[in-house]
Amino acid sequence: MRLLNILVIGALILAASFVYKIKFDSTLQAERVAKLRGELRRERNAIAVLRAEWAKLDTPGRIQGLADRHLALQPVKPNQFDKLDRLPEKPSPVVPSPDRDQIGVMLAPGPDTTGSVPRTGR
Amino acid sequence: MEGRWQRLLRSLLYGHDVDRNVKAKARIGLAIVAFAGIFSIIAIRLVMFATTSEGHGGRRSITQDAVATARPDILDRNGEILATDVKTPSLFAEPRKIIDVDEAVELLTAVLPDLDANEVRERLSSKRGFVWLKREITASQQHEIHRLGIPGVGFLTENKRVYPNGPVVSHELGHVNIDNQGIAGIEKWLDGQGLAALHMAGLATDQLQRPVNLSVDLRVQFALRDELIAARDKYKAKASAGIIADVNTGEIIAMVSEPDFDPNNPREATDPNRLNRLTTGVYEMGSTFKALTLAMALDSGRVSLSSSFDARMPLRYGKFEIHDYHAQKRVLSVPEIFTFSSNIGTARMALSLGVDYHKAFLKKLGQLDRLRTELPESAEPLVPKHWGELNTVTIAFGHGLSVAPLQAVMGISALVNGGKLVPPTLLKRDQPEADRLAQRVIKPETAEKMRYLMRLNVERGTATRANVAGYYVGGKTGTSEKVVGGHYSKTKVLTSFTAILPADKPRYLLLVMLDEPQGLPETHGFATSGWNAVPVGAQVIERVAPLLDISPRFDLPKADQMLLVSAKEMR
Repeated sequence: MRLLNILVIGALILAASFVYKIKFDSTLQAERVAKLRGELRRERNAIAVLRAEWAKLDTPGRIQGLADRHLALQPVKPNQFDKLDRLPEKPSPVVPSPDRDQIGVMLAPGPDTTGSVPRTGR
Repeated sequence: MEGRWQRLLRSLLYGHDVDRNVKAKARIGLAIVAFAGIFSIIAIRLVMFATTSEGHGGRRSITQDAVATARPDILDRNGEILATDVKTPSLFAEPRKIIDVDEAVELLTAVLPDLDANEVRERLSSKRGFVWLKREITASQQHEIHRLGIPGVGFLTENKRVYPNGPVVSHELGHVNIDNQGIAGIEKWLDGQGLAALHMAGLATDQLQRPVNLSVDLRVQFALRDELIAARDKYKAKASAGIIADVNTGEIIAMVSEPDFDPNNPREATDPNRLNRLTTGVYEMGSTFKALTLAMALDSGRVSLSSSFDARMPLRYGKFEIHDYHAQKRVLSVPEIFTFSSNIGTARMALSLGVDYHKAFLKKLGQLDRLRTELPESAEPLVPKHWGELNTVTIAFGHGLSVAPLQAVMGISALVNGGKLVPPTLLKRDQPEADRLAQRVIKPETAEKMRYLMRLNVERGTATRANVAGYYVGGKTGTSEKVVGGHYSKTKVLTSFTAILPADKPRYLLLVMLDEPQGLPETHGFATSGWNAVPVGAQVIERVAPLLDISPRFDLPKADQMLLVSAKEMR
C-alpha cells in the first residue's frame, strides 16, 4: 500500500513537471508567434510603402519628363508601324572577305562557347 | 451490477433497516461519483479554453490593425496602382498625464515646426483624455519625438491614402478625408458598397480588402490629359475636357476635365472651377447633336441617305430665323447636311418627323434623364418644360437642351456600335456583361450609315483636320454659342469634337471639348471646332491609338466605298 502511494506521488510529481514544461514551451511559442506576427505586419507595411513609392516613380508623367530630358526619342508616327508579314526575307549570309581582320577572328565564338564571354578572350 | 445499484438505492431510500456499513459505503460511493463529475467538467472546460485561446489572441491583433480604417487599393485596367494605403504614425497626447505643458509644447514645436504653439498649448491644457496633436507624421519625426521622452504623448499607426499619380486620375478617383472615408468619386462609391459598414464594425482590415479594377487606362489617361493641358494653354480656353470610351462595353478608358485637382490635397477639390465638367456640368452640345437627329431620321425609315432638304432660305419660325454657318443656299442631300453641318437641314428633318417622335427618340437614347454612373456626382439635363416645335427645331442642331457630355458620349456610342445603348461605367466590364445591360435603340443598318457619315465628315466635311493617316477616323464637330446674360454670345463658344476610331468598325469614341477657346493667328482668328477641338482630337488619336492596340492601316477604302462594301455584306 505504501509502495503504491509512493509510486502515485512520484507519478504526480512527474506529471506536474511535464505539464509545467509544456506550459513553458507553449508560452515561448506564443511569444514567437506574436513576434512573427509583428514582423509580418511590419514587412507588409514596408511592402505597401515600397509599392506606393514604385507607383510614384513609375507614373507616366515622371517617365515622360525623364525621357524628354535624357533621350532623343520621338513619339511613334503611324507610318512607322508595319505588319509582320510584310517584313522582308532574311538577307543571305555575307560572304567573308579574304583578308579578315584579326580582332574579328578573336571575337568570333568557337564551337563550344556557351556564354557571352569568348573562349579565346581568356 | 443491477443488484448492487438496487441495494445502493434501497440503502439510501430506506436508511433505517440497513446495515450501517453498507450505508456508509453507499454514501462514499455517491460522493465519489459527484466529485468525479465536477472534476471532469472542469477538465473539459480547461481543454476547451486551451484550444480556443489561439482565437482570442488573433482577434486582438486584428482590432489593432483596424484602428486606422483600411481601404482597398484602386488599380487601373492593367493593374497599375491609382490609390493605395500606407501606414503612417499619428501623434496624440493624453493631457491628464502631461506634467509640464510648456516644456512639452516647446519640445514638440522644435521637432514639428509647422505645429501652431498656441493651439497645442490649448489642447494640452484641456482636461480631455485624448487629443490628436498631428495626423500623419513621418517616421523620422516619430523617432525624434520618441527620443524626447515626453510623458503622456504617444503614437497611433493609421492608414494614409496615397495617390501616386497625383492629379492625373483625380475626377474618377475622388478623394478621402483625414479619417480615410471617401468623400467624392470612386472612393465614395466604395464606401457605399458596404465598406463604411465594415469600418463601423471595426472589421475593415488589410487582409479583407480586394483591390478594385477601374476601366481607366493610366497611360491613355495621362496622354489625353497632357494633350488637353497643352490645348487649353494654346487656345487660351477657360477649360478643356475629354473622354475616351469603349463604344462596345461602355467602359470609360480615360476621362479628363482640366483644370483638375490633386487628390493628395483635397482642399483643391472644393474649388468650383475644378469640378468634373463631363459629369457634373451640362452643356448645349451644338452640332454634335445633329448626329442624333440624323440617326433618328434614318432609323425612322422615312428619310434615306438620298433624301434631300431645302436649305436655300434661312428657316423662319415666329420671330426667330435659323441660319447656316457654312451656308450653301441650295437643296442639300442628307450626307451634305451632315458634312456642311446645316442647321436648316437638320431642323427641317426633325420637323418632318414631329415633336413627339423627336422627344421619344432622345428619351430612348437617355438624353433626357439624369445619367448615373459609379460616380456620386451627376447632373440632371436641362430639358425645356414645354417642348414645342421651336424646341425641336433648335434641339435638332444642339441648342435648347443641355446634357452632361458623358451622356452625349453614351448616345453617340449607341449610334455607331451597331445600335446598342450601353450605360457607361468606370469599372472594368467584359463584353458579355455589356451585352446583358445593352438596349437596342436603333437598327444595325442605321448604325452602318452613321459610321459612313462620320467618316465622310472627316474626309470632306468640317473635321478634315482629324484625318490622321492610317487610323480611319470618323467624327462630328460641334460649336455651340454660350448663353451670356440671356442671349447667345457670338464670341464665347463651346467647341467639341466627337471622333470614332476606327470608323469602319468602331472600338473607341473620343470626345474633346474646349470651353471658350480664342481665335489664334494660325487659325485665322476662327474659334470654331474645326480649328481647335479637331486638331487637338487628331493629336490625341495619333498618340493614344498605339496604346489602345489599334494598328494603322493604309489600304482603306474611301467612305463611299465603305458603305457599298457593308451593304454587300449585309445582303
